[in-house]
Amino acid sequence: MTALRPSRVAGLGPMLIVALIAAALYWPLMLAANVGPAGRTLASGAELDCRTALACASQLRNPVVPAPAQLAQGFVRLSTPVTSPLALPYNVGVTAGETLLGLLLATVTGIGLALLLVASQAFERATLPWLVASQTVPVVAIAPMLAVLLGQYGVQGFLPKAIIAAYIAFFPVAVGMSRGLRSADPLHLDLMRTYHASSAQTYRLLRFPASLPHLFTALKVAVTSALVGSIVAEISTISFSGLGKMLAENSRASDTVALWVIMGYGAVLGVTLVALVNALERWVTPWSRR
Amino acid sequence: MTYTNPSPQVSPTLGEPPIVSIRDLQKVFPVPGGETVALKDANLSIQRGEFISLIGPSGCGKTTLLRLMADLEQPTGGELLIAGRPADEARRERQYGYVFQAPALMEWRTVLKNVLLPLEVMNVPGDRVARAREMLKLVGLEKFERNYPWQLSGGMQQRVSIARALAFDPPLLFMDEPFGALDEITREHLNLELLRLWRETGKTVIFVTHSIPEAVFLSTRVVVMTARPGRIEGVVDIDLPHPRSDDTREDPRFFTLATEIRELLKKGHA
Repeated sequence: MTALRPSRVAGLGPMLIVALIAAALYWPLMLAANVGPAGRTLASGAELDCRTALACASQLRNPVVPAPAQLAQGFVRLSTPVTSPLALPYNVGVTAGETLLGLLLATVTGIGLALLLVASQAFERATLPWLVASQTVPVVAIAPMLAVLLGQYGVQGFLPKAIIAAYIAFFPVAVGMSRGLRSADPLHLDLMRTYHASSAQTYRLLRFPASLPHLFTALKVAVTSALVGSIVAEISTISFSGLGKMLAENSRASDTVALWVIMGYGAVLGVTLVALVNALERWVTPWSRR
Repeated sequence: MTYTNPSPQVSPTLGEPPIVSIRDLQKVFPVPGGETVALKDANLSIQRGEFISLIGPSGCGKTTLLRLMADLEQPTGGELLIAGRPADEARRERQYGYVFQAPALMEWRTVLKNVLLPLEVMNVPGDRVARAREMLKLVGLEKFERNYPWQLSGGMQQRVSIARALAFDPPLLFMDEPFGALDEITREHLNLELLRLWRETGKTVIFVTHSIPEAVFLSTRVVVMTARPGRIEGVVDIDLPHPRSDDTREDPRFFTLATEIRELLKKGHA
């Protein structure tokens, strides 16, 4: 392989500049957001270690925007003990598991639907409007209903969340994959015809490999949808673990520091899942020149 | 300059049935508000081992004629026999290899696997990899078997596509402007390579082009076609001796034949 790949480190430079700017802006913006509530707290005569509203802005118990030191404390408080089912690492794992299982279900369903949509125009005309309609129902509204429905059949805990995640993630896969299956080069289709290739051979040797770039583009959209789906499912149904359950709990308790820490974990999880799909893509499509 | 005798495959055995037989062939495409006559009353008979070029301006039906022979389009009239059978039967019996204007290599397959493709589809018995390697050697690309198509130049890609078309050893080779997108130097080099391949393999080649020098240099006969409606204007015998080389392009006879073809093309334009 003589291909030269652009250096990855060089690609990170602009991103790091943005990160530095965001970090530099964080402190003044945090003070600006907290100074009002801090002033009101001082005026109410509460006993505080600080004298001025500006000094108190970084020490509020439930800040609008937490100070870096508060975030660090919150991170340690919520992340330890590492193996505890009440700490964040375990709960991130639960949500990640639901999301990945949901993505797997969505991929299998999506590819199956795409094969049917491409194979039969009648099937497409009959089902495509319903598939689109299924995505217009807000997932927050559907999640409790699905959880109750699945609970009737003894499906509880982990699995209903994965199914709800799959419910919103299958659609981009089905659309991307059917576009992919239709994307085969007309010359390649002619070529297979000159070989008198069977329809199954044309799918296996041409349509399926040609669809892979489309499939992976869809999977990157689907994996973030699935993450949203599993968190929403955790929030809107009875849950005993997961990022959504912790968000709901701490939101009721107005623990803003915890909410920020959970959000940070969620962001890292989302980026990791997309990176996972990217790694899978590179492994499955080694011919790609990127 | 020394001329040897024409290669034996150039002079067909008398009485042998033609490998391609076309009678009053017609192709009409429906278009909004009417129809386009892509090919009108074509008559042509091609003997085994010939190298036939179809030449003409765009819209003259040369590609349509090739696609009809390959059963990639169906005629709207007339008769077409390939190796004594109807075109669809000949296609199912894999009587021809087809080289497109673009290399049409599958980007997810290595060079070797691209050449293996027809052998896999047709479930050819025996050592397919050895066969594919032999084909790559024939086009001089045996060192590139592990590369992906995008790592090759356009000319190399087209050579892979020729190796692929020859891999299952069909008696006929259909080529639709295979060198049309290449630069002049690469094209002349590949013309020589193609003539060598033709002589070594004894295939019957039907070659679509819009280059007069290319048609004269390669062919045993040139079929001149003109447009609106697409039809065969005339057939020119190319009696230049074999093997041909760069010297052939300097032969006065080369220019005479090129002029003859040019006159026929002009006649159709008038």
